Amino acid sequence: MSVGVYVHVPFCLTRCGYCDFNAYAGLHHLASRYVRALVAEASLAAPVWDREEVVSVFLGGGTPTTLEVENLASVLAHLRDSFDLTSNAEVTIEANPDTVDRPKLAALLEAGYERLSMGAQSFDPSVLASLERVHAPDAVRRALSDARAVGYANVSLDVIYGAEGETLDSWERTLRETTDLEPEHVSAYALTVEPSTPLGRKIAAGLVPAPDPDLQADMFALACEVLGGAGYVHYEISNWAKPGYECLHNLGYWERRPYAGLGAGAHSYRDDRRWWNVRPPLEYLERVESGSLPIGGEERLQPSDAHLEEVFLRLRILEGIPASWVEPERSAPFLESGLLEDRGGVLVPTERGMLLLNELVLALAG
Amino acid sequence: MTDTSQIRNFCIIAHIDHGKSTLADRLLELTHAVADRDMREQYLDKMDLERERGITIKAQAVRLAYETGGLAHELNLIDTPGHVDFTYEVSRSLAACEGAVLLVDAAQGIEAQTLANYHLARDAGLTIVPVLNKIDLPAADVEGTTAELAELVGCEPHEVLAVSGKTGEGVTALLETVIAKVPPPEGSGSDPLRALIFDSSFDAYRGVIAYVRVKDGVLRTRAKLHAAAARMDWEAEETGVFAPEATPVPELGPGEVGYLVTGLKDVHQVKVGDTITSQGRDRAHEPLPGYREPKPMVWSGLFPAEGGDYGALRDALDKLKLNDAALVFEPETSTALGFGFRCGFLGLLHMDIVKERLEREFDLELIATAPNVEFHVVGNAEVGVVHNPSEMPQPGTYERVEEPVVLATIITPSDFLGAVLELCQSRRGEMLDMKYLSTTRVEVHYLLPLAEIIFDFFDQLKSRTKGYASLDYESWGYEPSELVRVDVLLHGEPVDAFSSVVHRDKAYQYGRAMTERLRELIPRQLFDVAIQASIGSRIIARETVKAKRKDVLAKCYGGDITRKRKLLEQQKKGKARMRRVGKVDVPQDAFIAALRVDQKAEAKK
Repeated sequence: MSVGVYVHVPFCLTRCGYCDFNAYAGLHHLASRYVRALVAEASLAAPVWDREEVVSVFLGGGTPTTLEVENLASVLAHLRDSFDLTSNAEVTIEANPDTVDRPKLAALLEAGYERLSMGAQSFDPSVLASLERVHAPDAVRRALSDARAVGYANVSLDVIYGAEGETLDSWERTLRETTDLEPEHVSAYALTVEPSTPLGRKIAAGLVPAPDPDLQADMFALACEVLGGAGYVHYEISNWAKPGYECLHNLGYWERRPYAGLGAGAHSYRDDRRWWNVRPPLEYLERVESGSLPIGGEERLQPSDAHLEEVFLRLRILEGIPASWVEPERSAPFLESGLLEDRGGVLVPTERGMLLLNELVLALAG
Repeated sequence: MTDTSQIRNFCIIAHIDHGKSTLADRLLELTHAVADRDMREQYLDKMDLERERGITIKAQAVRLAYETGGLAHELNLIDTPGHVDFTYEVSRSLAACEGAVLLVDAAQGIEAQTLANYHLARDAGLTIVPVLNKIDLPAADVEGTTAELAELVGCEPHEVLAVSGKTGEGVTALLETVIAKVPPPEGSGSDPLRALIFDSSFDAYRGVIAYVRVKDGVLRTRAKLHAAAARMDWEAEETGVFAPEATPVPELGPGEVGYLVTGLKDVHQVKVGDTITSQGRDRAHEPLPGYREPKPMVWSGLFPAEGGDYGALRDALDKLKLNDAALVFEPETSTALGFGFRCGFLGLLHMDIVKERLEREFDLELIATAPNVEFHVVGNAEVGVVHNPSEMPQPGTYERVEEPVVLATIITPSDFLGAVLELCQSRRGEMLDMKYLSTTRVEVHYLLPLAEIIFDFFDQLKSRTKGYASLDYESWGYEPSELVRVDVLLHGEPVDAFSSVVHRDKAYQYGRAMTERLRELIPRQLFDVAIQASIGSRIIARETVKAKRKDVLAKCYGGDITRKRKLLEQQKKGKARMRRVGKVDVPQDAFIAALRVDQKAEAKK
């Protein structure tokens, strides 16, 4: 089985109000300790994955590019030593425009981070401000041209829609700017409000309006139209790629391939068992430094859990689920109302169906 | 057995919060009925609900011993409920007395409930002792209220006593006056037994306990008894008096008040107002007058919030009924709310009390439909009785509908008279007369449909008069009315719990208000949901809950999957808990909220 390795870097320059990831601003003094711990954890965890072929590595966060490039290079080098990476493994690093310049990008590429996933979020300054992103729209253009200049041939841009102040027009401009930059891959996310975030609290207190789901639905349709028109294939609810540039690592999650997670709070999955590291970075450091695996919890999936996951993950991607999994009377209303399509015995959500995926899953996974 | 000449039976009638229970406490102390260490506030109100709300729900009878002029007297204080819902029970308590202390708060003056109960007492032939209470309050208007009270009962102002239940001032004088003015009971110990049941309670060990007033003859322990209206024979397992705790005595003579342990297990066999006499040849020929079957005035569907609690609700109602002869119920099946009971109550307070006791004493969570009155549907020389709006026949299938009307008495400061008249007019009221009690207070009489009264009327009256107006009413019979049934439909399916019978002129307003509210409460579905209000097949209001377009998690990567699966499982459980109306899933909370606003907010528009 081909495995993906995820490495979590929990540091950020600032904390954005909508973000509920395991990420912290102001912990940068822990950076070199953290890198040493990642290396140590890789050695501890590697025996579990002994005979497995690793087809992808993904450094996410947080903002991995807040780390020094030497550190990043050493993490990847160590992964190559500890795991059986294939020669053409997909190696992605997430970056923010403000944390990379041309020399750093050149060094990252040189170190083997061949796929760059850049958080652009929006090209509208007022939307960026309401997302509390620190960079200016120009920074994205500059970072991307730097990446191209040093030889990056596989770049993804992340954009977010539905923040306060965003209109269909501003979203369309962001989409056009995005396609004009010709990244190989685009992730477009509906802004999701988590109650525990500063944004969630502001909305609960009535200080900021909640995103309008109908407007977000229109924005989703617009993204499908603009990105599809520019030659991107819509291969997952929030992901589009030029043919051949789908993110292999992320497809692993949706296809339920095994994955190894390293770093604070990272999840691992294999053979219907999922386990996760402790979340607080300091606790993670202490656990690894004491020489043990920093596992914080685990679950064993019952057959019904596994089935539910299989259905909701595979419906996210074009792969869909075999029609034979579902009693015909369950799927019929959705085929009829155009939320689901039967593509030669495989049930796949339509564009409208993707937006109502929870409803589809509840009806089909019964 | 005490000689009748030394017995005085009296009650205290007062508006809520005019200090009846506190005065009763002072009487208990003054007559040493309760040892100091056992004394507590509101001694006679035993139920938690009574103490919290400051109301009397069950009648109590307490025997007080008081010596004056060298003679020992037996005083029986009968503490009665004062609320309009319990008018019949009050009338039976009054029938057990010869005198009534008419107690009025010197700061508040005469209130509607004072008047209603005063008239009941006067009609029952009781001697009225007018008393001003709370004279210790700085806001007490002793002179003004004395004048009002003297005017009402037709006495001289100096005959109105002034007391403070709080400090005890004037309470001795009150007792002396009761002995001097209230006539001793009549009746002879040699006549056949006739005793009035004026209330009852249920004891899990001893069965039904009847509260009785002996009119004629002697009620002895172990006597073979017959109840006239119930047509039941039983034996007096024990006779006794409340002094104030239950104390057995071998017999109760004419004029005496006490209790009787029947050993019966069903409170419905011991009817309030019934006459107890002896069996066989000692049986009295004429029962005492005034017996009536309890008649529910207000109906509501009670449904368990958790469908599985139906059995528990049935058991709880059965148990409550043991102690509450006025409560009636029959099984009801609602497409929206499932299995429950349509319950009949004496009035809104009675309904509230039953609901609260079910929730509190039986730990049930309930959904109650909006209360409604009993309608009479007249057609083909037959009268159909309808307790449930969803069973109201369609227009065109009957000649006419009649609804209960009440004679309402409202007392209000004259400053708010305009607001009160406006409220009554807007509730289809017909003014009968109006009278100034003083330069600043007015008494108004209106004929009002009971349906309007039970619909938020009291809250409205209070809010429009800053809490100063008081209301009481009595039944006036049935009158024809232009009533129609308004149904509420979700996606074409009627929701029986929301059906309402309203006046034709208000049908549109009701329909619009309900559809607008439901639009807010019903979650979006995968299709547009039409919410309609209709009279028969005619749609009078419509709203739409637009189809939901987005319900998906934007991101789902390695660390999100477990949480996401749990969210989906939650969502699935939530869906399973929803009630299905046709194709539409409605959360229980939406039903509860819609029914609640239906009861509270309608008239505030």
